[in-house]
Amino acid sequence: MSDKEKNVVDENAMIGPTGVQRPRTSSFFALRGTISRQTTLVLGILGGLAFFGVWEVGHLMTPEESKRFLPSPQTVLSAFWVLLTEKGYIYDIGKSCFRIFGSFFLVCVVAVPLGVLMGCFIKLRALINPTISASRYLPAASFIPLLLVWFGPTDTQKMALLFLGVIFFLIALVLDNTKAVQSELVEAALTMGADRRRVVLGVVVPAVAPSIIDSMRNMIAVGWTYLVIAEIVAATDGIGAVMMRAGRFLKVDIIMAGILTIGILGVLTDLAFRLLAHYSFPWDRERRN
Amino acid sequence: MVNNQKINGSDNAVVISVNNVTQQYLGGSFTAVDNISLDLRENEIVTFIGPSGCGKTTVLRMIAGLEYPTHGEMVAYKKPIVGPGPDRGMIFQAYTSFPWLTTRKNIEYGMKIMGVPRDDRRARAQEFLELVHLEEFAESYPTSLSGGMKQRVAIARTLAQNPRVLLMDEPFGALDAQVRWEMQEMMIDIIGREKTTVVTVTHDIQEAIFLADRIIFFTRNPGRIKADIRVEFKQGKRIARKEDMLALPGYVDLEVKLFAMMREEIQ
Repeated sequence: MSDKEKNVVDENAMIGPTGVQRPRTSSFFALRGTISRQTTLVLGILGGLAFFGVWEVGHLMTPEESKRFLPSPQTVLSAFWVLLTEKGYIYDIGKSCFRIFGSFFLVCVVAVPLGVLMGCFIKLRALINPTISASRYLPAASFIPLLLVWFGPTDTQKMALLFLGVIFFLIALVLDNTKAVQSELVEAALTMGADRRRVVLGVVVPAVAPSIIDSMRNMIAVGWTYLVIAEIVAATDGIGAVMMRAGRFLKVDIIMAGILTIGILGVLTDLAFRLLAHYSFPWDRERRN
Repeated sequence: MVNNQKINGSDNAVVISVNNVTQQYLGGSFTAVDNISLDLRENEIVTFIGPSGCGKTTVLRMIAGLEYPTHGEMVAYKKPIVGPGPDRGMIFQAYTSFPWLTTRKNIEYGMKIMGVPRDDRRARAQEFLELVHLEEFAESYPTSLSGGMKQRVAIARTLAQNPRVLLMDEPFGALDAQVRWEMQEMMIDIIGREKTTVVTVTHDIQEAIFLADRIIFFTRNPGRIKADIRVEFKQGKRIARKEDMLALPGYVDLEVKLFAMMREEIQ
């Protein structure tokens, strides 16, 4: 091997403790691979800090007369604190949570059994699926006038909007999850003498449960994105209503505090679903991690 | 391990009858199985071998009751086959041990469906855990088991139901060569104890000869039986160790014959 060739090799490899050349796995752009929990945490925090850094710099570079349109992170945090301690914000948060979780609970009650049954019985799927697939393309916001006529400016109206915004997607996802259950699991149960009820409840349901929890986790995130749309129109309480009111008075710090609240609640919801999956399906941990 | 077992000749009672069976797909435009007739006898190990698309798996699935023939009649113990049942246990190439159940619960599952009382279930599951050498992994979930172990769970689960016929669809096809070989020897051992009729589908000529008392060679386009071969050189015995079989006179002749038949098919 010539010296030149050696140099080329050295550039792509490190000398390990035993003096043997090893591929460079410590590179920031190492493809795939795994990293420790600690590294994950540090990188996540760094990313978050970078975001706030860019925000802060943006605020500092904004001309003085426009600074109120891009308040600093500290201003937003203190607005958040004032909302919580002085403006009864916790009630609005509670109200929004009730609307989200209440409507999402109803979504799951309908979508999960329906999706599973459609995944199991092909004729049921052929009957319902075209309608449901088409319904996904209807913008949820277009239902607002109709729901206002039907229910008035009530919680029911807002929850109905959240319900319609999510349900068709969740049915479609649960259907896909169910179709993805390995057909040999079903056939194995059949050859062991399982009847249809046993196959659906004893094989398909446990097999599909972890991926349904994943789908629910993804769809409740979409639910949170619909929250502001639901609370913009004809609402006096809830996070969205607080933000709309603030917008009327150009209080950008409060609007941003609202966005931040939804972000935090979204992350907490996500975490709750992850924990639920972790403790409900100990047998599936290896796949998730 | 048991010694080489003596098996009975071809005068045992007929367990499964395939009578003039045709299976067509795509509304009759594709014939997977064309007018096949076949009798499978009690305590016989039969191997289906042949090129891809020759209908061997289709016939196995029809015996299992997972598919119905377009024409003809499938009979098990003189009664028509109308669906799957625990009397005809099946092992698939894909791993079918249920991932949400531990090894022990998996093995108990089939017995639970049959309504075996809890204590009997426990005792019999323990027996089969030992038979397939998985005592140490009784409380493990399938995700932490190797491919060979997962397949042993499925085998134990099916055999614990005490089926009259054991159907295996390329059961070791996804395993490493060495694990496959261990599994083949384990099957000879277990089948000898359980006295079950066995039908195995395989691509592997050596596996076919090692396991079988009788080899059915399928041809394709359309799927028909090309040859029905008794494995004479084993002289009615089942050989416990693979190298002992390889050393028998007559083994190579049969292997050469099957390779030649396979070559005709692929040309």
